[in-house]
Amino acid sequence: MKTKHIKTYSTALIVAAAMVLGVAGLALAADTAAKPDWFFNDLVDIAFVKQHVQVPMDENITLIDSRPKRAKYDLGHIPMAISIPDMEFDENAGKLPKNKDNLLIFYCEGPECKLSHNSAKKAVKLGYKNVKVYADGFPGWMKESGHYPSVSGEYVKKQIDSGTDMLLMDSRPKRTKFDKGHIPGAVSIPDSEFEQMTGQLPQDKNKLLIFYCEGYQCKLSHKSAQRAIALGFTNVKVYSAGYPEWIEKFGVAGTGETKKTATKLKSGKEEGSIDIADFEKIMKENPESLFLVDVRDADEFAKGSLKTAVNIPVDQLKKRIAELPTDKPVVFICGTGARSGESFYMVQDLRPEMKSVYYVEAGMTFKKDGSFEIAKPK
Amino acid sequence: MFRKTLLVLLTLMISISFADFSFASEAGNKRKGKYTYRKVYESCQKRGAVETAKPKINPDAHTQAEWTKIFKEKKFAEFGCAEEWSKLSDEQLKDIYSYLHDHASDSGTPAKCN
Repeated sequence: MKTKHIKTYSTALIVAAAMVLGVAGLALAADTAAKPDWFFNDLVDIAFVKQHVQVPMDENITLIDSRPKRAKYDLGHIPMAISIPDMEFDENAGKLPKNKDNLLIFYCEGPECKLSHNSAKKAVKLGYKNVKVYADGFPGWMKESGHYPSVSGEYVKKQIDSGTDMLLMDSRPKRTKFDKGHIPGAVSIPDSEFEQMTGQLPQDKNKLLIFYCEGYQCKLSHKSAQRAIALGFTNVKVYSAGYPEWIEKFGVAGTGETKKTATKLKSGKEEGSIDIADFEKIMKENPESLFLVDVRDADEFAKGSLKTAVNIPVDQLKKRIAELPTDKPVVFICGTGARSGESFYMVQDLRPEMKSVYYVEAGMTFKKDGSFEIAKPK
Repeated sequence: MFRKTLLVLLTLMISISFADFSFASEAGNKRKGKYTYRKVYESCQKRGAVETAKPKINPDAHTQAEWTKIFKEKKFAEFGCAEEWSKLSDEQLKDIYSYLHDHASDSGTPAKCN
């Protein structure tokens, strides 16, 4: 009888233990469901991001948007984030800071999105020691009231070109900045005079407002955006890269003449090549008059290129060929003329309507300070 | 007499080397050739015949003489993507030849296709 009791007891104990274990197991399962195995191991929350995202950014901190550029980043991203789509991470590793101790924060489209986790792991592989992922990503950031997205120059240009009903506002001082040049169609509402000029804001609080100022170092557009939100505007965006990037990308200052077509330049001996002496002269006197494209890889570009050049590696040119402007002569450069020549013929093939396109048919060496030397062909 | 022979010989040699040079450079447009060459593999990849759009043979895979022989005899089997190769015009072939020839393993600027 006694032994039977003991048996019953022990059975009960085993059942109880099993139940406890089961519950623990369930809890464990729930925990792993919250953190899938593809998650990066070092996650941060919105408070952390807010603490580290400042205008201007601390130079030891980089916030990286891992989503596709055109479909996502251009339309809205966390202010001050740079775009390195996870798909193009390897080609764009040159955009990451040189110092491997710097803080990198990756984000993408929220907890379901793997891109930032993947990129963070790649960054760790490259030797970065202080890598975090903000898993709630862009949707998490936008949920908080008072937050607004930043947009890219391509987005602003598209709104202008398609005649979107919006108000584009230049937050810089009027006389010293706006009057000397601004984005076509922008109105001047300096941040310092914002409160007095609210009468110029639209009645419709849902109308799209885009603020910009003097680039990533400039707080004015961000301040004005916050003021507009406080007034109840619901569709407020900031073009953080601002006027300096606009000039670099689209060139046309203030006059509203966006339909100007590019002038032709003096050609060199080879088809499509630019006359070297002419090129050197333009680079000395008026480099901004050219849309210079360095078609070497990002790592080569990072080591030094011309000051006014943008980097579109030849392998990406096909995808990005629409970015080439028609209001300025486009000049391709690389180290020897091979990749730039290839780029020239790609444009001939894919955008035959572009008439003012050239490449430098010569060996070029670039220095870190933006100076260059041309070895003329023998 | 000896001097005259030397002169004639020299002239001959120079004109031969010139002729050789012009053959290489007038044969086609190497810049255009590079683009066309890569485009072949892009469309080849698009129809699923190759895994990558990167051409499988680099210019420095052969010497200049070998390239000349391959193009003279039009033996393009090793390039794969026969469908695309068969569609190339003589001018396009000349361009590609110039590109490969000018960056051959024994050229002044041997190159990979990057």
